[in-house]
Amino acid sequence: MDFSWTEEQRLWRRGVRDFAQNEIAPRVREIDETEHIPRDIIEGMAEMGLLAPTVGEEYGGVGADWIMAAIAAEELGRADISLAVPVLYLVEAAWGFIFYQYGSERLKEAYLPQVTRGEAFLGIATTEPEGGSDILGACQTRAEKDGDAWVFNGEKTYISGVRESLEWGGIHLMLTRTADVDEAGHKAFTFFAMPLKGTEGITPTFFDDMGRMGISTGGFALDDVRMPADHQVGEFNRGFYHAMEGFSAARTLIGATCVGASKAALEMGMDHIKMRHAFGRPVASYEGVQFPLADLYTDLAGTELSTYKAAWTMDQKYQHDAATHHDIALAAAMAKLKAPILGFELMNEVADWFGAMAYTKECPVEMGIRGIRSYSIGAEGTPNIMRIIIARELLGQGFLPTLYTEKA
Amino acid sequence: MHIVVCTKYTPDSEAKMSVDEAGNVSWGDSPLIINPWDEYAVEEALLLRDEYGGKVTVISMGPEEALEALKHAVAMGADEAIRVWDDACAGSDTLATSYVLARTIDAIGEVDLVLCGKSAIDAETWQTGVALATRLNVPSLMYTINIAELDPDEGTITVERLLEQGRQVVEASLPAVVGTIKGINEPRYTSFIGIRKAAGMDYPLWTLEDIGADPDRVGESGSGVRWPTVFEPPVREGEAEIIEAETVEEEAQILAEKLLAEKVI
Repeated sequence: MDFSWTEEQRLWRRGVRDFAQNEIAPRVREIDETEHIPRDIIEGMAEMGLLAPTVGEEYGGVGADWIMAAIAAEELGRADISLAVPVLYLVEAAWGFIFYQYGSERLKEAYLPQVTRGEAFLGIATTEPEGGSDILGACQTRAEKDGDAWVFNGEKTYISGVRESLEWGGIHLMLTRTADVDEAGHKAFTFFAMPLKGTEGITPTFFDDMGRMGISTGGFALDDVRMPADHQVGEFNRGFYHAMEGFSAARTLIGATCVGASKAALEMGMDHIKMRHAFGRPVASYEGVQFPLADLYTDLAGTELSTYKAAWTMDQKYQHDAATHHDIALAAAMAKLKAPILGFELMNEVADWFGAMAYTKECPVEMGIRGIRSYSIGAEGTPNIMRIIIARELLGQGFLPTLYTEKA
Repeated sequence: MHIVVCTKYTPDSEAKMSVDEAGNVSWGDSPLIINPWDEYAVEEALLLRDEYGGKVTVISMGPEEALEALKHAVAMGADEAIRVWDDACAGSDTLATSYVLARTIDAIGEVDLVLCGKSAIDAETWQTGVALATRLNVPSLMYTINIAELDPDEGTITVERLLEQGRQVVEASLPAVVGTIKGINEPRYTSFIGIRKAAGMDYPLWTLEDIGADPDRVGESGSGVRWPTVFEPPVREGEAEIIEAETVEEEAQILAEKLLAEKVI
């Protein structure tokens, strides 16, 4: 057992923190208000190797392992508690890795160098108007073969980065139905790379979000959209499994970024209660403040360990082939279950310490509360879905609630 | 072209310095960083290397902590790094430090240009660069804000120096020692690829013997500066007043009147 960081990890954390605290942290309010991540921040991230870092060097990535990717996610969350920059980062890091593993050579050459340079966006599109986590029931967008091409019809919604993809170019990894679900079950879905910019038959929609304003949320309808065959990503009818792999990666990084944002909020709160006096003594001297602080710090330390254990498990799988998909699904679900909910609770507590100021935009904590709520509601899987995954890994597939729902 | 950059590790610029009763200076638990002024020198060296070819070697005199400065420079993109140290070097002032650096540069051999920051943020003596140039018997181009021209074939360099009187354009022969100041460039951040290299690289340690230095000319015995007493200056007393009025214009008016009354303006 060794909890120390390697030299490379220590230097990377320092490097990312240096960049994020200097270039991102002072502009988080601007990002939140303009609903836009400034171009120079994207370019700076590209120069550092922060865009889709898990992609190999042959496509412009840096081949980061998952602990390194998680360190960056944490530091970006610490700098941008609104979580806009972290969402951009972690979506590309997680789903870029899936595309790097399973995409066709031509498409990887076409898109990944642009993504790692910050000139194109790479996102994920699984959720539909009928639902998100219930892929079998909700994923109804169809892909049908027509000669050498695929033709898509359907609609995706609550998708991060629709505006970015339309403006910059790029692709969303889009899950589609390619077989009869009643017959094939989970083996009825295939991933495709869907460029939104300039694609005939795409009609985008946009949502006015509650938080993480710097990155867009939207959707797109597909009306007889045609794409060449090499836009298929991964094996035919194995898309569900590729999606689960990507979700484990994204959930690990969500854990890390929520830990980072939580640390930032806690540090802001601690600075404030040490300075602020009430009834003749520092606010920090009251047990009514100290006890929640102690509890939150303890929970945060545990969640941090759980999150980096998930990243370590990912590396055991992808670097050493010494862990299974089940191992990473369980570890990532635990990190994703705890970190966003804890972060939301922590920020609410810190808001109490700030008093009235926390209810104004003078105080950054409100951006954190709005931003982290995205992940505690359920982007990349709701808390209850995380609980189902954890219970499934503990009890076995035979006790999945859905089995009994179908029988009833 | 072979460019050598002299670097030093320092406490972080936000470190809280304290002095105990015995006169020992402490920087608290501040992380060690590369001297911020040296980052400009490293960046300029990398830009020149990329334009004219060649390599950048960073050197630092110091105990193991000096690796922080060297690793940062390598993570920025420097090609090679050498740490120079011997226990006898402890307590070196600028006189002794410039001697060690000069001996190191001589030992490296063919060097076209030496860059260093204008000063270090811990001691702020502003002397090491000038002393180094003097010891190497080459031109000293301190406070450089722009390298206007460089001709490695002709062996000449033209720089703009930012002085209190204005900008001074100076041409000199190479090799020369250039002291960089803020504004000459915007130092890059360390990249993932650079960090991977910095973490995995070997950092050779050169001793006084390796550089042919006389142990009597380094450390306290080689230093001209003595520290009879070291103490923390008393905390300045002051009062803060927050001006409140109905409008910003009224607040500004009150502020201006107060500044006039205090003869500040």
